[in-house]
Amino acid sequence: MKKTIITNNLLVHDKYNEKMGIIYLEEFSYLDILKFVRDKIHKGHKLLTHPLSGSIKPNETPFKSVAISTKKGILDLQSLEIIQECIITTEKFIKVKKTPNWTKEILEDFSLIDFSVIDGAIQSMEQFYYR
Amino acid sequence: MHLELGKIKITDIQFGDLTKVEAGVLYVNKQELIDLIMEDDHIKGVSVELARPGEEVRITPVKDVIEPRVKVEGPGGIFPGVLNKVTTVGSGRTHVLSGAAVVTCGKIVGFQEGIIDMTGPGADYTPFSKLNNVCLVIEATEGLNQYEYEAAARMAGLKAASYLGQIGKDIQPDEIKVYETKPLLEQAVEYPNLPKVGYVYMLQTQGLLHDTYVYGVDAKKIVPTILYPTEIMDGAILSGNCVSACDKNTTYHHLNNPIIHDLYERHGKDINFMGIIITNENVYLADKERSSNWTAKFTKYLGLDGAIISQEGFGNPDTDLIMNCKKIEDEGVKTVIVTDEYAGRDGASQSLADADPKADAVVTGGNANEVIVLPPMKKVIGTLDYIDKIAGGFDGSLRPDGSIEAEIQVITGATNELGFNKMSAITY
Repeated sequence: MKKTIITNNLLVHDKYNEKMGIIYLEEFSYLDILKFVRDKIHKGHKLLTHPLSGSIKPNETPFKSVAISTKKGILDLQSLEIIQECIITTEKFIKVKKTPNWTKEILEDFSLIDFSVIDGAIQSMEQFYYR
Repeated sequence: MHLELGKIKITDIQFGDLTKVEAGVLYVNKQELIDLIMEDDHIKGVSVELARPGEEVRITPVKDVIEPRVKVEGPGGIFPGVLNKVTTVGSGRTHVLSGAAVVTCGKIVGFQEGIIDMTGPGADYTPFSKLNNVCLVIEATEGLNQYEYEAAARMAGLKAASYLGQIGKDIQPDEIKVYETKPLLEQAVEYPNLPKVGYVYMLQTQGLLHDTYVYGVDAKKIVPTILYPTEIMDGAILSGNCVSACDKNTTYHHLNNPIIHDLYERHGKDINFMGIIITNENVYLADKERSSNWTAKFTKYLGLDGAIISQEGFGNPDTDLIMNCKKIEDEGVKTVIVTDEYAGRDGASQSLADADPKADAVVTGGNANEVIVLPPMKKVIGTLDYIDKIAGGFDGSLRPDGSIEAEIQVITGATNELGFNKMSAITY
């Protein structure tokens, strides 16, 4: 299935920009990315990776990368259910404590982990055929 | 598969000229251990320190905890596919330095987590405060990336545990426990009138600092498979999971999995414990679908009446857990799920990121958002620089007097999803 990556992580953008569809949303927060993905799902795109990937909490890391189908079809209810639960969970965390203003070094680590997590998923998607 | 597990009780730990066990005291030749760790040229330095139960010591940031073990009889060696050949383990005899552990610490990334307090209120939340710990604070060589540093720290811990485990080879254990699981058809007829119960063991598998290894294989690349429970006691499953300290499974947890332990306790009494299905928790949703289809397929294939399912980690594994639960229930196999909760500081919010009416039998390891104040300790092994930068910590977590106010998710093993802790909740 042809995929599009939605990300606010420059490292993910730079690594995949020429290989696949990327929507890079530099100014978006973690929660903004999830809401953007939700809107895409409403339009008929399918969720390909889990939006709460990684064990790093949504109020810790500012970075989020999610893969969705490039093609639109009818509304996929499972995708919608998952993204809605993820938004509720993220809001729950942010309500208690906002994401801190991290140093540049720590941001780089979070960026690398977000990249590693989506990269593993992409490798898994492409192990049979590459698109 | 038949395994004798001989426990050599360790009640104290000391540095000494010779690495040995004498009258329950583990003596460690510090220099010999340092030389072993320094064989890896990825490591610039290692400091070896001891921490005993009740001491005013805080260990942080903890990466892994490993119990020293050695194969005495039977095929293979401890940690197959990593430190030893990929021989199938789990039979014969294994000796354990019970009451001792190796704890690895290192600043692999800038944000950190994982606290073990050896005394005080935090000590009650981690099983590792009850152990005699050999702590390795590992410093990487310049220019090493995070992947290489994590791998070097992981390997150092395994090597140290194996080095210490070796000295138990010729010691008469204080206690010998025997565990046996027979091949499927034999096991099924051994207790024909007891319900056949299996264990679906979910492993964290998502990338850097989020991985688990099975016989040396990165478990995100496996499809679910069947293991004898005793293979796990010989180190078939290793942790490379350094994130979410409270609910990650350290290697120690894998070696001493309490679900396996308790299923064996009831084996032949009120259940017939048939074996283990291991599965992963991948990011790609199709992987989640495939793996949960396969766990369900295996529960049916094994003829199970019931299955215990344990989760590892936060967030998206909730989806794997519920997928496993639903699909296994749909096969007519009853399930109990084991998880923990992020229910907000007052415990009133929804606990999991996924749910289903079929998940009607749940064991919880506790609420990771619960707030705790950890008093200052006289000694810190590792570093406190990062306490403001840990999961569940927040700006000002580290107070001027050295005390820490944070959520219990900072404590290694606090809400462990194998139930290796004291917390739970019961509803009727």
